[in-house]
Amino acid sequence: MIALESISKVYTIGKENVHVLNNINLEIQQGEFVAIMGPSGSGKSTLMNMIGCLDKPSEGSYYLGGEDVSGYKDNELAKVRNQSIGFVFQQFHLLPRLTALKNVELPMIYAGMKKDERIEKAKEALRKVGLEDRMDHLPNALSGGQKQRVAIARAIVNNPKLILADEPTGALDTKTSTSIMELFNKLNEEGTTIIVVTHEPEVAEYARRTIMVRDGMIQSASMKSKGAEQ
Amino acid sequence: MKFMENISMALGSLKAHKMRSILTMLGIIIGVGAVIIVVAIGQGGEAMLKSQISGSGNTVELFFQPSEEEMRVNPNIMNQPPFRQEDVRALEGIPEVKKVVTSSSQFSSVSYKEKSAEASITGINNAYLELNDLKVNKGRSFSASDFLGGRRVGLISHSTKEELFKEQSPIGQIIKIANQPVEVIGVLEKPTGLFGFSSVEVYMPIQTWRTVYGKSEFSQITLQAASADELQKAGKKAARLLNTLHNTEDSYQVVNMEEIAEGIGQVTRIMTLIIGSIAGISLFVGGIGVMNIMLVSVTERTREIGIRMALGATRGQVMTQFLIESITLTLIGGMIGILVGWGVASLVSVFAGWPSLISWQVVAGGVLFSMVIGVVFGLLPANKASKLDPIESLRYE
Repeated sequence: MIALESISKVYTIGKENVHVLNNINLEIQQGEFVAIMGPSGSGKSTLMNMIGCLDKPSEGSYYLGGEDVSGYKDNELAKVRNQSIGFVFQQFHLLPRLTALKNVELPMIYAGMKKDERIEKAKEALRKVGLEDRMDHLPNALSGGQKQRVAIARAIVNNPKLILADEPTGALDTKTSTSIMELFNKLNEEGTTIIVVTHEPEVAEYARRTIMVRDGMIQSASMKSKGAEQ
Repeated sequence: MKFMENISMALGSLKAHKMRSILTMLGIIIGVGAVIIVVAIGQGGEAMLKSQISGSGNTVELFFQPSEEEMRVNPNIMNQPPFRQEDVRALEGIPEVKKVVTSSSQFSSVSYKEKSAEASITGINNAYLELNDLKVNKGRSFSASDFLGGRRVGLISHSTKEELFKEQSPIGQIIKIANQPVEVIGVLEKPTGLFGFSSVEVYMPIQTWRTVYGKSEFSQITLQAASADELQKAGKKAARLLNTLHNTEDSYQVVNMEEIAEGIGQVTRIMTLIIGSIAGISLFVGGIGVMNIMLVSVTERTREIGIRMALGATRGQVMTQFLIESITLTLIGGMIGILVGWGVASLVSVFAGWPSLISWQVVAGGVLFSMVIGVVFGLLPANKASKLDPIESLRYE
């Protein structure tokens, strides 16, 4: 489903060229649960932005669902993000002035969906993450775990094939982290591809495959057999 | 994205900063309000000036003014009476002329018992009072027999009554004009309006005037036509006719009140334009305020923009969102400004006795213009928002 072929990203800072990503080759299949790990500055965030179509590679090709999106224009990338990718962030990134329901509605607004349909789907997504009784709350009135659940509801509401989570438990306590990761696990079992960027081994434990990134290169990839986990 | 979504989104973010939104709107409110007030009062003033100058309308005054050339050729020209009775008959023959109003004026002293005053004594015919909008307030007006018989009766102006009679009723009293007795039969209404000042005047039937002064000429002829269009023709024909009858080159001319009114209208329009453009500058300053606040808003909401972009908002959608926000701001401000302007203009018209004209064009223009301001001054901030990099914006604290 995801295929990165010789992807490089070069930033020019002053007169120096910094290779943030260096010749990355990576393939992720539909339905996988992958963790991307690495120390800070390793380029894992850039890799994640690349996969999430927020950033464009300097070199190489990126195939998402069989399509080469590396040459897409800004507007086309926005549509890909809207339709095919769900984002979950460490800082939740909910809009503070909107209720949980309205936050979940946002991606559908940009998809041009009708209001009734939007509300229906947003409610369904919130039900799925167990927050049907908190729909009319503003983010300020929600706990960290609840906020992250709203963010997950927002990520899944357009039925994306891929969910990208950047340190999704970084701002949560252990118990909440576990429940959030369980939620990801459940979504994965329903067939959604999940990529989690993390530096916590406990989080990476949930993934079937862990990719280590260092100095802009994939250092190692370890596979966990499904049987061993069960 | 739907238009209504954008509107409700814009209203939401304006509500989130109520004080700021109101203060920003205030600039637009004052600007639009000022423009509306100036235009309304200007147009009202112009309409009033015109109506007062042209009076009951469609009249033109003939006057006798020989050029220097003609005076050289015929040095006696100024000694002849300018208008004669046969001129009036000739003028009445012009088809476009509805009425010929003749009058003669002379300044002389008027006295009642031991009091006396300098007055303009005017001999008039039966059309004069109506044409000049003069109404009798107390007593009676001239009757047909007063005109025909040249009876020694007169109407006095309000000021004349004040000068000679104070509180006493002048009706039936005998005043002396050029030492000849004249009976006062009525007092004219005090003139109202912008140019409404009452001067010391006495009106008599033209026949009476002639016997009192022993003169037979008219000093003034005014023509009335059925319509403003015919008036032009009538005036030109009359002047030509009189020049032929008196064997003069170009001594008889017409003053067109409409032309004067038009001239004054032009002056008030220029005034309105000047004051209006000063008011327009305040609207411009208000627009800069909108731009300033929108720029602050874009910076403050950098992260929101990043989130929206990550969720699939295109650059165009982000731009539209901020543009609609600034248009909403200026449009609401503009509508309040129109209401405020309307209110103030109406108040001014009540206190100044000055009509204020708020035409739908002005209201529509105000609404349209405030929208244009929203677009113009929202463009830069909206463009800035749409150009943000989603990754950097998401990291923005």
